[in-house]
Amino acid sequence: MSEQSGSQEAVTLIIDDVEVTVPTGTKVLDAAERAGVVVPHYCYHPGIPTRPAQCRVCLVSVEGQGKLQPSCVLDAQQDMVVHTATEEAKLARKSVIEFLLVNHPLDCPICDAAGQCMLQDYAFETGQLESRVEEPKLVMGRDRIADDVLYFADRCIICTRCVRFMREVARDDALIVAQRGHRAYIDTFPGTELDNPFHGNIVDVCPVGALVHEDFLFKARFWDMDSASSICPGCSNGCNVSVASKENQVVRLKPRHNAAVNSYWMCDHGRGQLVMANRGIRAEVPLLRDEDGELRPADWKDALDRVASDLSELGGGGRAVVSPHACNESLHQLRRLLELLGFQGGEFRVEQGGEATLDGFPKLKLRADRAPNATGAELLGFERVESLAEPGPGEVLVVLGERLDADPTLPDAAFGEHAGYVLYLGTRITEAARRADAILPVTSSAEMQGTFTNWEGRVQRFDQALREAGIARPAWMVLSRLVGLLGGEGATRLEAADAFDAMAADTSGMEGMDWLSLGLKGLPLASPADVAGGAS
Amino acid sequence: MSEELHPSVAGAQPYMREERQGSGTTDEPLFESDEGRERLEKIRSRYPSARPALLPLLNYAQEKNGWVSTRAMEEIAGALDLTPACVHSVATFYTMYNKRPVGRYLIQVCTNISCHLNRGDDVLERFLEETGTRPGETSENGLFTVVEAECLGACGFATVVQINEDYVENVTPEKVPDIVDALWARAEGRDA
Amino acid sequence: MAFPHRHDLETTTLLSRHMGEEEARHLDTWLERGGYEGLRKALTMEPEEIVQVVKDSGLRGRGGAGFPTGMKWSFMPGADDDRPHYLCCNADESEPGAFKDREVLRWSPHLLIEGCMIAARAIRARHAYIYIRGEFFPVLPILNRAVSDAYREGYLGEGIMGSGWSCDLTVHVGAGAYIAGEETGLMASLEGRRAEPRVKPPFPAQVGIFGQPTTVNNVETLAAVPMILTNGAEWYRQWGTEKSPGTKLWCCSGHLNRPGNYEMALGVPLKDILFDVCGGIPEGRAVRAVIPGGSSTAYLTPDELDCETTYEGLKEAGSSLGTASPIVMDESTCLLRATRRIAQFYAHESCGQCVQCREGTEWVTEILTRIEHGDGRMEDIDTLYDLCEQLTGRTICVLADSVVFPLKSSLDKFRDEYEAHILRDTCTAT
Ligand SMILES: Cc1cc2nc3c(=O)[nH]c(=O)nc-3n(C[C@H](O)[C@H](O)[C@H](O)COP(=O)(O)O)c2cc1C
Ligand code: SF4
Ligand code: SF4
Ligand code: SF4
Ligand code: FES
Ligand code: FES
Repeated sequence: MSEQSGSQEAVTLIIDDVEVTVPTGTKVLDAAERAGVVVPHYCYHPGIPTRPAQCRVCLVSVEGQGKLQPSCVLDAQQDMVVHTATEEAKLARKSVIEFLLVNHPLDCPICDAAGQCMLQDYAFETGQLESRVEEPKLVMGRDRIADDVLYFADRCIICTRCVRFMREVARDDALIVAQRGHRAYIDTFPGTELDNPFHGNIVDVCPVGALVHEDFLFKARFWDMDSASSICPGCSNGCNVSVASKENQVVRLKPRHNAAVNSYWMCDHGRGQLVMANRGIRAEVPLLRDEDGELRPADWKDALDRVASDLSELGGGGRAVVSPHACNESLHQLRRLLELLGFQGGEFRVEQGGEATLDGFPKLKLRADRAPNATGAELLGFERVESLAEPGPGEVLVVLGERLDADPTLPDAAFGEHAGYVLYLGTRITEAARRADAILPVTSSAEMQGTFTNWEGRVQRFDQALREAGIARPAWMVLSRLVGLLGGEGATRLEAADAFDAMAADTSGMEGMDWLSLGLKGLPLASPADVAGGAS
Repeated sequence: MSEELHPSVAGAQPYMREERQGSGTTDEPLFESDEGRERLEKIRSRYPSARPALLPLLNYAQEKNGWVSTRAMEEIAGALDLTPACVHSVATFYTMYNKRPVGRYLIQVCTNISCHLNRGDDVLERFLEETGTRPGETSENGLFTVVEAECLGACGFATVVQINEDYVENVTPEKVPDIVDALWARAEGRDA
Repeated sequence: MAFPHRHDLETTTLLSRHMGEEEARHLDTWLERGGYEGLRKALTMEPEEIVQVVKDSGLRGRGGAGFPTGMKWSFMPGADDDRPHYLCCNADESEPGAFKDREVLRWSPHLLIEGCMIAARAIRARHAYIYIRGEFFPVLPILNRAVSDAYREGYLGEGIMGSGWSCDLTVHVGAGAYIAGEETGLMASLEGRRAEPRVKPPFPAQVGIFGQPTTVNNVETLAAVPMILTNGAEWYRQWGTEKSPGTKLWCCSGHLNRPGNYEMALGVPLKDILFDVCGGIPEGRAVRAVIPGGSSTAYLTPDELDCETTYEGLKEAGSSLGTASPIVMDESTCLLRATRRIAQFYAHESCGQCVQCREGTEWVTEILTRIEHGDGRMEDIDTLYDLCEQLTGRTICVLADSVVFPLKSSLDKFRDEYEAHILRDTCTAT
């Protein structure tokens, strides 16, 4: 069951009166999708290799065949005529739902999957909202499957997606079906819990609410969450994610499909990144140091005018320290500012961590570089270093510090104490920031649009998930304004799209890219030779 | 067994012999003895890969200890390069693996259709009464565990009862006290 | 162990000729009785020739489905396929009512070994596995000894019977799962996995055990092969009918004077087997119902017992031959309870993959139990009919369908029983 059939041959068939041509070996369920027909399915998952055809909810009628056929494993054949919604097929589907309801408590009001439960969906769709069953439901307790994942056996429909994810994708045969028949349930070896860097994906593949992240339990209902497409900031892999938020707090990161990067998956380190997005004392308004040496709030106009005049007045050298969590657009505008000021450039360092590969999809790897944009920073002319050089006496220091403070290996709070002038653009007011001459509050990557360039040079866009803190603005916007005030070319960038297009026009490897064509799945840099690694 | 065990049948040794039921709680390591290692090798030699040896080795665990402990599952997993979870999954699928120790006499009463028609339910009741146990529970003296069984494949000789390895056929409720008495006598005979 | 029954008038003793003779279990005495002559002949034949003889004989699978054996063998890849091929002998015998394979195993183990080797040669297998149900402990010493002796004396292993052809045989013991008798469940179980059936295609002849071409045959099927090779296809066809040639072991149980295992030429009227051979119902009671082919076949009423005992005859009567295991229920039988007990079995044995089967078999059992306890409602009958429909033809294997045959036929033919329980909390049994 390869993702892509190697065969050149194609077959043409008719599904619900729509003619489709698909490569030989395509299954009817997949062919139907191309014809715009979604056949309900529980056990089939596009990212998991095996198709056990055991939920029997994808049954369809095929002309000339007496029995309903499971479309997830049925080969599409030349001239086949398939009907996905005959009375018989609908009835069969409805009965599967009814069968499931026999033992599946419809406790939707308290279930965390409510609103995104495929049982609820199909129950609604088939009109099978209650079952005729009078027999007492099998009640099984909930159990801990991993330190952060709970299992509600009474909701489980034994589709085995979670088991097969662990076995076939994570290649860690630690989650299994125990017992058999209606006594079957999902289990780990007695006395153990899942302990795999990727096990959180079992929660995402579960089509009902049987597996739940404990820290998400009862936190939010699907319908009162907002969601945005984003890129995981946890490492340089650049996994595509959706950020779910509620009341301007990130409540959950979920993988977003991208066949070139992370398939349907992400790692558990990445899931933990949501905590970062919610944490810390935020820089909410510009702060300027007054004559008495105190930091005082200012509005943007005053702040930028003051910083522009400070910078133009200060002679001598200067340098920048940037975070590899900063987006391409901000780094690009910063580079322009540095050029304008004739500074020597800037450096960054990347926090390191252990690696872990998802064996069933090896392009997804928790990478040692624990930041999303080291490749971008390098491409935009910043130098990667092992440890940041302390600025010399009297030097100007510009810090673009999204999350610089979060790096425990950074020099301590004394960093930059000899500098003559410190301009700090950051999301948080750290100890080091308190010594700055000007603090310009910028948005975190969760609060803005921008792009990151991942380990292999794929430029990917992220959207805004949260409202900005106070009057913080994206760094690219702030920096482009400063560039303007200092007499540089180009208008202030008010849209990420403009900031991106300006960068693309000006950066080798990005020629011809534009914000729109980037879409939600990203594009590779033009010459992969520029960057480490290669396409798979 | 004087003759050497042929590898073709090394995984097919009857394993519910009464002597082995002893205390019912032993949990001897399986592959630390020469005998155990030899059995493992003979069994493995019959299959092109390791995993097919799993059922024969679980059977061997029962042969040694009368039940399959989680420790034994881990040991077998190690021998076959499987995860313990995967062994647990297989062991819980099959009903003959005793996941906890059973009495010296495991009494399985068929109540399936042909035996049902020949008073199998009453036979089961009677065994429970005579041994003073509830289904699946081991008597306090450690002698008896009585369970309801599905068809034992001897339906023409209903009601069929399997006591450890032996089939006892054409059992009627009236015969049950004598059968249980005989088991008592056997147990005492040995204990004395 | 009880002795297999014979009846002088009606039975034919081909498979069962030496059943009951302890000494026939041993290799030397078995040879004296003409043992391994079929294999000797097969060793001089090409695989295709063996397949042809078995095709010509019309032998049909005795595991329940009645699929023509020679044809099944011909699905195996030919000489140009150099993958290892395998034979699995299905000795999982667990269908309630059936107890024939055990008789072959414990009385004529060498007959089975010989049959396995002929089949293995026909399908180009170099290894045969006998998958035997775990409960059959008493059979193991007998079978194991026969296998060990056959190895020692050159009937198994390298250069069989002095020929250049070699084949191994391994006895593999299950551990309590009816579904391990379904051929793909058996393959999974043999591979050390849960005995969960899988969807076909691919068929075992393409992808079987260890991913290699495999044929699964029942014990009784394989036991019939040696005599066909020895005596020829035409000889075998002197018994039975055109579509159902040969003889069959009948497992007769339930309310009978002489229950037991009888070998009969196919085609004898069912009532002759039950009344003449098995001596009818004890204490002169009347028959109420008969399940003719093991618990997964449809009930017949007393006036349907004239049918001939062939695959086609029982089909015509609205049931099937299945494992040829008539279960006889006299007038004192509560058919609701009997049906509930059957349903309970299938619920217990469902592997649990398919939603319909996992939930449906259990649900049926619960409804039947409730009616049995006097809490039924007339709507339950409609629900049961509906469940029958939903359990038919929807699942990976036919275990789910198996519960439908007895259930639906009991609803059709003995509705009065259900109504009596539901409306009056009484039973129509006498
Ligand atoms: C649920 C189920 C249980 C089965 N159990 C057995 C069995 O115990 N023994 C057997 O020989 N065949 C059994 N079969 C039939 C096998 O799948 C298979 O068809 C048979 O072993 C093929 O052998 P044959 O062609 O010689 O009949 C079972 C089938 C099903 C669906
Ligand atoms: S826990 Fe969820 S994913 Fe796993 S088997 Fe149950 S329903 Fe399927
Ligand atoms: S691999 Fe990296 S980018 Fe992907 S989810 Fe994990 S931390 Fe995030
Ligand atoms: S029909 Fe029943 S026994 Fe057969 S595969 Fe499905 S769940 Fe398992
Ligand atoms: S999706 Fe096809 S059977 Fe489950
Ligand atoms: S029904 Fe009891 S042995 Fe078959």
